[in-house]
Amino acid sequence: MLRLHLKTIPAGLGAALLCAVMAQAQSATPAPENGSFEVEPVFAGTCGFCHSDGGRAPGKGPQLMNSPRDDDFIRDRIKHGKQGAMPAFDGAFTDTQIDQIVKYIRALKPRAG
Amino acid sequence: MRKQWLSSGLPVLVGATLAASAAFAQSVDTARIEAAGQNDWLTYHGSYKSHHYSPLAQINANTIGNLGVAWMHIPGRSTRGLQSMPLVADGVLYYSGSYSRVFALNGATGEVIWSFFPELDEALISRQTHSPYNRGVALGEGKVFVGTMDGRVFGLDSKTGKVLWETRLIDSQKLTVGFTGAPLYAKGSVIIGSQGGEWPGRGPIFALDATTGKKKWEFLTVAGTDEAMKTWGNDSWRTGGGGGWMPGTYDSETNTILWGTANPAPLYDWSGADYKTQGARPGDNLYTSSVIALDIDTGKLKSYHQELPHDAWDFDSAVGEFVMLERDGQKYVVHPNKGGFVFVYDRNLGVKNVWRLVENINFVKDIDPKTGALIGRRDFAAGKVAEPPLCPFIGGGISWNAGSYSPKTGLYYKLGQEWCMTLEVQKTTPVTAPQVQLNIGADFKMAPPPGGEIYGHLDARDPITGAKKWEVRYPEPPLGSVLSTAGNLVFVPDSRGVLHAYDAESGAELWKHNNGTGHQGGIVSYSVGGKQYIAVAAGFGGMLADEYAPNFGGAYKSMPRDDGALIVFSLK
Repeated sequence: MLRLHLKTIPAGLGAALLCAVMAQAQSATPAPENGSFEVEPVFAGTCGFCHSDGGRAPGKGPQLMNSPRDDDFIRDRIKHGKQGAMPAFDGAFTDTQIDQIVKYIRALKPRAG
Repeated sequence: MRKQWLSSGLPVLVGATLAASAAFAQSVDTARIEAAGQNDWLTYHGSYKSHHYSPLAQINANTIGNLGVAWMHIPGRSTRGLQSMPLVADGVLYYSGSYSRVFALNGATGEVIWSFFPELDEALISRQTHSPYNRGVALGEGKVFVGTMDGRVFGLDSKTGKVLWETRLIDSQKLTVGFTGAPLYAKGSVIIGSQGGEWPGRGPIFALDATTGKKKWEFLTVAGTDEAMKTWGNDSWRTGGGGGWMPGTYDSETNTILWGTANPAPLYDWSGADYKTQGARPGDNLYTSSVIALDIDTGKLKSYHQELPHDAWDFDSAVGEFVMLERDGQKYVVHPNKGGFVFVYDRNLGVKNVWRLVENINFVKDIDPKTGALIGRRDFAAGKVAEPPLCPFIGGGISWNAGSYSPKTGLYYKLGQEWCMTLEVQKTTPVTAPQVQLNIGADFKMAPPPGGEIYGHLDARDPITGAKKWEVRYPEPPLGSVLSTAGNLVFVPDSRGVLHAYDAESGAELWKHNNGTGHQGGIVSYSVGGKQYIAVAAGFGGMLADEYAPNFGGAYKSMPRDDGALIVFSLK
């Protein structure tokens, strides 16, 4: 069972374009459904390399906070990537996990102070 | 619709009539690379001395007004730009583009002699972050050697492009990473290091038999010896890193390969000051962020210096330059570190000096120039990093492209980058399965240096003492390689797309030409039929270049990141 450590306002998670994470193709081992999936460290480990300041600012990839893209677009971009810009993560994240990432993006707020 | 020229690894040979007017490449061997004949550019760093210097002087201060474009070549499918260093042997220019496309061109006219488009695992590549650019090929024994993003190395016939051997070295499906750096040919071996800094692998460096492609040895830059294994507490070697993704060099006097290694994973650690016992990877994490000396025949470690023990900032040592110098009877090796310091070693990697190329550095207060020990480290705990911002930015004070040393002026011409970053470190859990493609461990954002602006600079320095003779500044850091020549010129391809030529003694700009897109690749000089040429790779995009549009705007907002050209200049 997926244990979701969704903090009330998690820091960013990646959405639309670019970067991050996980791994490989056909032989990829998706993150286990029964493993913990903490969005904030996953973002910092992978997505944040391109989506700066936890998704709050543009970097190699676009800003995700207040993204004008709809959830389906973001979900599709995470799964399938964009050639030469963002890797495809469909072998790395489950659909459920991608949904949590999208929620995480939608919850992004400017950092206090 | 894009037509993909996946020719099943078969080269496209364009008739013999298009063959270079010069003779086809004669065999390139170790002695010839060592001698570095003035007409050629036989290995990534120009010669084993890594000078990135041409003894040609036809193009000089008096003639440069007549310098113009001789020919161009468009490699196509230049995803993330064109990042490679061309090589030239006997009038034939060899270079690679994204997806490890290799071309052999007539160096005088640009006519295609052959091309090689390997069939790659595109599904794998679509899942890679640091991909699909390629940074160069190697020449040796009548072959051209190139690595691929899906973990293979090819040996091609230099006359035809035909595949003579193909060796899989890495299970890229399992490890995610592959090869982007140029191989090094020396003494019958092809040496190449894999990507590795941000992934849970052990960053292997390989030697292959140049004749057969058979693997000779493999050195693990992560915990590759019993001694090194002890420097990764809590079995954290399993989270990996390391790698040697840029080519180093060969010292024939000591039969040694010199190579720089990448950072450990995660890039940023939450250990706080007790990094020896706490955090994601307790200990020094050997042999990451180090320079290592390996016996070329056996791969056995002979000596090393870890430039950044327990690198917690991603300021690794993978920069490939090992500039070989002699002064007052002493033999030196000069190696820049991504953090903005330049290390000066003896040939056994004993520290002789350390000097700063970059002004804005605060990840340490200093590095002891006598011992290389870090002084006043900033080791972070989890959470937002307090002011000041971390300097330099994750892109480094020094990037992976090469500087140039001129034996004529005795000066080392090197690009520095002045920028910083805000940072919030995350407490991570061990990432040991390659299902996670990157292992960064922090959120960050580019920021200007405290009290200043972001800029880049070309410095003319004494390579041993670091004494500065002159400096040229740029509003955005240039990312390409530098070339100096016996024509008393220094060429700098900048990020906006302008190729500059400066007086090597004074830094005065003598000539410039807009190539129409940013540079982040190589630049070389060679001669065919008595005529000197300058060849530069143009084409922007990738891990650092992609930060330019959001941070600098201007020309970068519309600059393509999937395009590129090889542009070659000569006197009219």
